[in-house]
Amino acid sequence: MALSSLWVRITRTDRWIIAFIFLAAVASLWLTIGRPAGQNVVIFEGDKIVFTAPLSQQRSIVLHGPLGETQVEISAGKVRVTSSPCPRKICVSMGEIHRSGDLLACVPNLVVVRIEGEERSYDLLSR
Amino acid sequence: MISSVDKQETLEQTRQRVFMALFIALAVGLHTFEALLPNPLPWFRIGLANILALTALSFYGLRAMWVLSLSRIFIGSLLIGNLFGPGFLLSFFGGAGACLLMSVGALLLNRGIGLVGLSILGAVGHICGQLLIASLVVVQHQSIWLLLPVFLLFALISGIINGLAADFLVDYLLQHPAFSACRKGFGRHHVEG
Repeated sequence: MALSSLWVRITRTDRWIIAFIFLAAVASLWLTIGRPAGQNVVIFEGDKIVFTAPLSQQRSIVLHGPLGETQVEISAGKVRVTSSPCPRKICVSMGEIHRSGDLLACVPNLVVVRIEGEERSYDLLSR
Repeated sequence: MISSVDKQETLEQTRQRVFMALFIALAVGLHTFEALLPNPLPWFRIGLANILALTALSFYGLRAMWVLSLSRIFIGSLLIGNLFGPGFLLSFFGGAGACLLMSVGALLLNRGIGLVGLSILGAVGHICGQLLIASLVVVQHQSIWLLLPVFLLFALISGIINGLAADFLVDYLLQHPAFSACRKGFGRHHVEG
């Protein structure tokens, strides 16, 4: 009863839009999930590469950004930000990453953690 | 006679100005309220202020929607205190993207699109604008586009919620004589099925 009163507010064109966006979301999800696990961890401070290590290594790194120390941990083939001085802690709540191309970013502290596959892409070299 | 028609027109104009001011004030309120909410997931916003943009679009047309969204973002960011910071850039280009896609949807699909469809287009435009400016300026890495599928799903859900809310609001306001004089605007189709 209540649901059907909501349903009549959605026109046929709207339903097509919903279906289209849903399919686009599912298709792009399928494309991004299928990527292989990466090989290397690359950490940027601003534009500069400050650290590179294989993903298989077990270690933690301390980075010095403009706001203070950001701690990054590599363990069991995954990377995460364990602590950060930024106000909203978005980088910490982004969780663990391990696939090639994945990204952790702490925008306020200018730290970007990126996973790379076996070959380096040219646009990264040119930076 | 002519003067009374003239009067009628200026009355409508004045009414529109007053209600636009009211809508902008409400949108700024919602914008600020949403910035104060704790968000469990990074960057996830429902975009409640877009309800007012949809209402303006429905009553007064495309120009009113652009005016409302842009002034809402400027005043809202001023209140929150991040005017011209990275957060402001994100919401400004998000808002511009949302208005752009809603305008395109309203103009191209005017015959059948409802407020829910417009709202979804707005939400999708919002994330596209944000991801574009984030990948170009804020994060400067193309890999941020990997977030697109998750954002698209969120945009779909929040777009439907906002669209339904706007539809209820427009229906409710139309009962009032101040709005029943409005010409039939965009996105009101469900009445005839």
